[in-house]
Amino acid sequence: MFVLLEAFKAIKEKHLEAKRIVEEATAKSEKLISEAEQKALKVYEEAYKTTLSQAEQKAIELKRKAAKDAENELAKFLSTAEDQAKGIEAKARKNFKAAVDSVLNMVLP
Amino acid sequence: MESTREITEMIVEEAKKSADHILQEAEKSAADTLKKQKLRGVQRAKEASKILLRKAENEAEFNKKNSIANSKIKAKWVILSKKETWIDNILKEVKNELKILKQSKKYLSILEKLIIEAGVTLGGKELVVLLNPQDSALPLKLGNLAKEIGEKTGFKTELNMSKEKVEVIGGALVKTADGKVIMDNTFDDILRRREKELRSEIAKILF
Repeated sequence: MFVLLEAFKAIKEKHLEAKRIVEEATAKSEKLISEAEQKALKVYEEAYKTTLSQAEQKAIELKRKAAKDAENELAKFLSTAEDQAKGIEAKARKNFKAAVDSVLNMVLP
Repeated sequence: MESTREITEMIVEEAKKSADHILQEAEKSAADTLKKQKLRGVQRAKEASKILLRKAENEAEFNKKNSIANSKIKAKWVILSKKETWIDNILKEVKNELKILKQSKKYLSILEKLIIEAGVTLGGKELVVLLNPQDSALPLKLGNLAKEIGEKTGFKTELNMSKEKVEVIGGALVKTADGKVIMDNTFDDILRRREKELRSEIAKILF
């Protein structure tokens, strides 16, 4: 009889220990999940900011490239214009006298 | 006693297994939550990025087109300003040539023709001639000129030299005796009123 009582007592104690182990694990898991939920907002914001920041950088690059392209175009146009201006100057020098004579003929009776 | 120990060990062992499982599940759930939130953040940012990039592309394209249009204008301006400078040089040279012409013998007959032309335009009759101080000293035969104007207009014409002088390169300013109608046939005014036509002609010849 005594032995049986001792056995029941031991089983009951272990049951209590088992319950405590499970309760501790449950509490720990709840804490884990709660911490993860709190961290989740930060993770969301960080992921949002990082991705958006990459896009912003890309946008800056896009604009910079477009500005550079436009600058190159300007240089090209100006270079062509300067070449044309040189051609104009050469023709003007060559035809200078003819133009002066023509105007004199037009204005003089 | 042996079987009691086995039972109690089993109870604790089972509890530990359950605890491990609970913790594993919690860790999995926590990791899952973080992963989902990260993905959500990335997804939302990608949507915002699309709008941002589209706007940036549009802005960049607009600015590029605008700059290129301005560049074309600048380039055209370089050419036009070069042409304008040369046209101005020609007109300056024409004025110099006219000043030189004034020193030549040919000038007197040119001045006479200018006076006749102005007189005819005014329709003859009583006219007054205004010249610059140097030209006033030239031996102009106003009587002969008046006669020619008269022949061309059909009206008896009288030409008188005004005491008033004009500050011009050369040529003549003729007005009716009452001063109501003026025909400015000075070189200065001819160049001024025909400037558009002259510039166009110069451009044709020069370039």
